[in-house]
Amino acid sequence: MEKRRRTVRQPVGALIALAAFAGATQACELPPGTRVESQRVALSYRTIPARIAVGEQFVLELTACPKNATALPERVKLDAQMPEHRHGMNYRPSLQPMGGGRYRSEGWLFHMPGRWEFIFDLGGERLTHSVRIE
Amino acid sequence: MTRLVLAVLLALAAGNSAAQLLEFTDAEARAILRHGPWPAPWSPDPSNRVSGNPQAIDFGERLFFEPRLSPSGKVLCATCHAPFRGWQDARARAFGLAEADRNTPSLFNVRHNRWYGWDGAGDSLWAQSIRPILDAREMGGSQAQAAALIRGDPELSCRFEKTFGVPPPDDDEGVLAGIGKALAAFQETIISGRAPFDDFRDALEKADRPGAARYPLAAQRGLRLFVGRGNCSACHFGPGFSNGEFHDTGVPFFVRGGVDSGRHGGLKKLQASVFNLLGAHNDDRSGSSAVKTRQVAIEHRNFGEFKVPSLRNVAQTAPYMHNGSVATLADVVRHYSEINPDRLHSDGESLLKPLRLSAGEGADLVAFLESLTERASALAPRRPAMPCP
Repeated sequence: MEKRRRTVRQPVGALIALAAFAGATQACELPPGTRVESQRVALSYRTIPARIAVGEQFVLELTACPKNATALPERVKLDAQMPEHRHGMNYRPSLQPMGGGRYRSEGWLFHMPGRWEFIFDLGGERLTHSVRIE
Repeated sequence: MTRLVLAVLLALAAGNSAAQLLEFTDAEARAILRHGPWPAPWSPDPSNRVSGNPQAIDFGERLFFEPRLSPSGKVLCATCHAPFRGWQDARARAFGLAEADRNTPSLFNVRHNRWYGWDGAGDSLWAQSIRPILDAREMGGSQAQAAALIRGDPELSCRFEKTFGVPPPDDDEGVLAGIGKALAAFQETIISGRAPFDDFRDALEKADRPGAARYPLAAQRGLRLFVGRGNCSACHFGPGFSNGEFHDTGVPFFVRGGVDSGRHGGLKKLQASVFNLLGAHNDDRSGSSAVKTRQVAIEHRNFGEFKVPSLRNVAQTAPYMHNGSVATLADVVRHYSEINPDRLHSDGESLLKPLRLSAGEGADLVAFLESLTERASALAPRRPAMPCP
């Protein structure tokens, strides 16, 4: 699985207010998973099942934490795209706040093999993480 | 003497050809292995409580060949999905009571689909099985008529009760849902057999070079194009050779009196259907089967998109494309070889580009596609009816 991180400017999909996020701590002790971070935000995510298969639905669990507790994200949006093909998913995953900066998102499906880019928009702070799906 | 030498040379050439194996790269080999193994594992449909149930399969098979589901008494499921024609009708566009706008898809391996119909208006096989019963151009029936048939016919009523454990209920919608679920249980048994490609793929996995070399060289070259430069396997993915989703492939979608909106219209129909997986007839209490229906997105780009068909047994299912407008596999290959990206309506999706195949490459790709067709049917012969009542 190829992995890399950078910020992006693409539009994103799922949207939810993030009142519960205000309780996050500065320490950013995140649960095990793939860690992605910028200067302001750190997050950890994992998929269920762990191995993403083409054409198979999966769940994404995300824990987010602002490094600077004074700058709390108000909105979270999640999406994914295939940059080389210039298309996204055919689904808009749900986003359920679980408290303490944790979220559960259902309805993910990558319908083609190749490089997919997760897009995490945390209060305007956009982070991406690429995975290669075979 | 000259003839004898020529015959020996030809035999040697044929022998060499049959024994050759292309040196596939690791990436190519991985891509090839993804198209198997076959047959793929089967699991019951959680949205259909009688999926895999022998009584339901038996009932569904009777219904599949039951002309009275159409008030005309002249059209049955098998009219368009003829078993001896690869479970389709060999026509460009389906013809039940009148000609429809789309090609009849084959029923091979339908259990493995995520969406049903060229536009994906069905989110389960049982819901999709109800649609043609009610379509005026196909069977021209109604919910009330279909329910009355089941309730009024002692044998069908008995089979309904044996399948579902209760007599046909009073509500017509419930009976129609039952009809769909029995029809689905039968269609789930329609699985294609192993094709020459499967033997090659398995030999490659086992590093059995002599076994792999029995696969015709032209098919090997075509396969290399399929997983490589042609990028065909991006959409025709996996053991079923379909990713189960929808794309605009530049096939015109004009129909009499308008346009076929494809996936866009299919999603609208899906949302409006009382038989979708968000409704009361879904037997899956976990809710997991309905996630796709709840989360699927309707986008402008869905206009003119149609489902990626499976390529299993593709040589048996001409003509091709959603409107049956392409007669042969060679024509299909030519379509993609010469595709005009300006005709696509995919909001900038950059997957399809003209392949500009040579005549030899086109023939190789056809040889590969033909190798996806089973040598012998995997289907059991039609079962004698279980007695009922």
